[in-house]
Amino acid sequence: MAVHQLIPSFVSGDATGQAALHFQLLLRRLGHFGNIYAGEVEPSLSSLALPARALRPEPDDLVLYHHGIASPLAGRVLHLRCRTGMVFHNITPARFYEGTPLHEPLVSGRAQLAALAPWLDLAIGVSRYNSRELEVVGAKNVHVVPLFIEPERFLPEAADRTLAAKLGNARNAPTIVSVSRIAPHKRFEDLLALHEESLRLNPDARLIVVGGYDSGSRYWKSLRRRMKGLRGITFTGRVSHAELVAAYRAGSVFVSMSEHEGFGVPLLEAMACDLPVLAFAAAAVPETLGGAGIAFTEKRFAFLAELVHELHHDHDLREKVLRGQRRRLEELSAARAEQALGAALSSIGIARPHARRPRADRRPKVAIVVQRFGDEVTGGAEKHARDVADRLAPYWDITVLTTCAKDHLTWKNELPAGPDRVGRLKVLRFPARRVRDIHRFNALSRTRFGRPLDRMHEEHWIAEQGPLVPDLFEHLAHHAADYDGFVFFTYLYAPTVWGLPMVAQKALLVPTVHDEPPLYFHAYADALERPRALLCNTPEEQALIARRSAHAARARVVGVGVEPLPGNPERFRRQFHLDRPYLLYVGRIEPGKGVDALLRHYRALRRSDPGAPDLVLAGALHMTLGGEGVRYVGRLSEQEKWDALSGARAVVVPSRFESLSLLALESFAAGAPVVANGDSDVLRGQCERSGAGRCYTDAASFVEAVEDVTLRREELSRKGRAFAKKHSWEAVVRCYREELDRIIKETRR
Amino acid sequence: MNLLGRDVPVRALLERIESRLQLRGLREAPSADEGVADEVEPRVDPLSFNLGALEEHADPTRPLPLHTHRGGVGQLVVVAKWAFRKTCQVFINEALARQRLFNGHVRDSYAQLSAEVLRLRAEVAALKAEKAPASKAKRTPRKRAR
Repeated sequence: MAVHQLIPSFVSGDATGQAALHFQLLLRRLGHFGNIYAGEVEPSLSSLALPARALRPEPDDLVLYHHGIASPLAGRVLHLRCRTGMVFHNITPARFYEGTPLHEPLVSGRAQLAALAPWLDLAIGVSRYNSRELEVVGAKNVHVVPLFIEPERFLPEAADRTLAAKLGNARNAPTIVSVSRIAPHKRFEDLLALHEESLRLNPDARLIVVGGYDSGSRYWKSLRRRMKGLRGITFTGRVSHAELVAAYRAGSVFVSMSEHEGFGVPLLEAMACDLPVLAFAAAAVPETLGGAGIAFTEKRFAFLAELVHELHHDHDLREKVLRGQRRRLEELSAARAEQALGAALSSIGIARPHARRPRADRRPKVAIVVQRFGDEVTGGAEKHARDVADRLAPYWDITVLTTCAKDHLTWKNELPAGPDRVGRLKVLRFPARRVRDIHRFNALSRTRFGRPLDRMHEEHWIAEQGPLVPDLFEHLAHHAADYDGFVFFTYLYAPTVWGLPMVAQKALLVPTVHDEPPLYFHAYADALERPRALLCNTPEEQALIARRSAHAARARVVGVGVEPLPGNPERFRRQFHLDRPYLLYVGRIEPGKGVDALLRHYRALRRSDPGAPDLVLAGALHMTLGGEGVRYVGRLSEQEKWDALSGARAVVVPSRFESLSLLALESFAAGAPVVANGDSDVLRGQCERSGAGRCYTDAASFVEAVEDVTLRREELSRKGRAFAKKHSWEAVVRCYREELDRIIKETRR
Repeated sequence: MNLLGRDVPVRALLERIESRLQLRGLREAPSADEGVADEVEPRVDPLSFNLGALEEHADPTRPLPLHTHRGGVGQLVVVAKWAFRKTCQVFINEALARQRLFNGHVRDSYAQLSAEVLRLRAEVAALKAEKAPASKAKRTPRKRAR
């Protein structure tokens, strides 16, 4: 059973699309799986929503159709052979659009609403006001699930600096902000009348209007005429999320003159930006305000201008309003909406299945969820998952839920879907829906990193990151109750960020977090805040998570164990014809791992000391290698790796983004000192705690570090071995078992 | 004028602002209608709306009002559309003649089918009403013999 959503269009900046993503967030938290289907999908967003023609629901699925203005999808809903529900966002009354092409689709939307109502299994209004209309048209089983916003996306640091500087602040004069598309029923002419009155009280008063407009429309032209002679007006047009926050935060009062709102999301956004709200009490506005802000029932502009100035100047009054608005924001939280949606779904028998009571007489059944898994798969987190699964297999009945991919750059399905075995572990493989074009993805990342985004743009990046495995999510939804616990590996990928919330009550996350731009996406909040515990690799990772999220789940440092094999350096030298001392790197050879910088620093080392050790690189090659003394030896077997480590002058760890360097730990265990990238807090911490490594940050410090470890190799080697002995698998396994036992005990209760 | 807000001293605020307006010589007579405009929109009957829409748009040779949502070049587009219609109406009529016939049949079929739906609904309602008292009478519980 899935809960799909069907919306007329899914395009950037569209409010219904944002609402659908919010519903999907709630559905995941309620343990349900489902896709978003849309009549029109912006081509660049095709990873996030599927075309409506692809919708093929099973008879017991629920399709939630988001209804507003007339859409051809309404007829389709009538003929779906499954349970159907509607999320009603309301429709602007057609009287505001007499004589325009919009008039007919508005009336038609209402006719479609009435035609659909008797057939719906579930009708959801995003406000009580909308639900009343659903009842009027004859819908049964009507519920209210209010929309919500994510207040953390509206903090001052989310504001676009360029626009903020351009708009200035409202310290000197009252500044009215209004946000919505420029349309007749929003009554921008009333806003201009208010601004005119405001200018009479203070000639420096300002009006900032944010929203898209049709430059050829009669309405816009009439506004332009009306604006002539009025000072202090800024029309921004359509803006990005960061610019929207900047606009809100440049104002002193938010004003809505709209004569029809089915909910009024900008009212909440203004509240989140600590902007007093003054709004005409039409349709659902008083209900959305819920007593917060100030609603008015009459448009007396001189009176309202006085009120705006009062709110601007009277600190006490302003504070009282803001306090009430903060309370209202809490009332309209995502948690409340989740509760309401859960109740609505329960009314048609869609509820989270009861967890199976764990039995004391058998091994706990645990799913390990990881993006790739198998003998041919390389990667730190994937190896970590494999090591943990192997060691826990005697204690748990483990099934690994993973993809059919071997390559993390493309997620291409190379292994057969379905049940599989890796060693003694049971594996269930699910196919990825899309192949990733890494160059396009990297270009997308450059446009998304380091700037505040709305949920749609963050979720889109996650979808492009992938792997998109709908069957895995479906498995989680259907079989959640069959498992006693889940261990997810790596916070970054779609199976974790979207799958974990579905089973959060029984989930542990091994986050393998490092300080990288996506970590600051708010869309990752659920992955870090909802599991029962975060099993970190290092104290630095734990501290980073605490800095990233004040509400992160309980975290403990668990790490990994190291079991060194006896190494034979001579065998390695003979095998690869190495007759000079060498520095060693083992891992994926790609710029993302810092290998390009390592090669630059190594060239500097050779220039300063032509007799410097060679640089031996081993692992999967994803870039071009070259340069004097650089040797590539391909991928190494486990024994070859330990042979290589034990003979290395030093092991180089160039990656900046690490939650734990297994390579560093193994080097310590093999008695090889480490030369590590000092820009990584984790590597710096590992070197400092062990006393067996040196860090570098540039070519000069790299040269210095190599010289130092060469001189002090014996001492560093001793310290490294002592440090590695503290990392035993026995302790790691004990931690995992303790955490699962805690979950099982609570499930039993 | 009514102000709605749980966190502000509404009455005092109203009085303060009214007195300031009075000082500015701007006292306005309060409006008679001070309620919250929260009535929901009336139901639009889908059968009659669709029939009306089919009648309205059955003739595809009849132009829709000229419109653009674009400024600047949009105005030129409007002029071009107007010129096209003026000069090419005869060809439009020719090209869409069969479509006009087809639309007419769709309209008439919908009219007949929707009338049939309305008649059947009325019949079902009447039958239900007829059946309701009878089944009520059947369900009246008999007194249990002691």
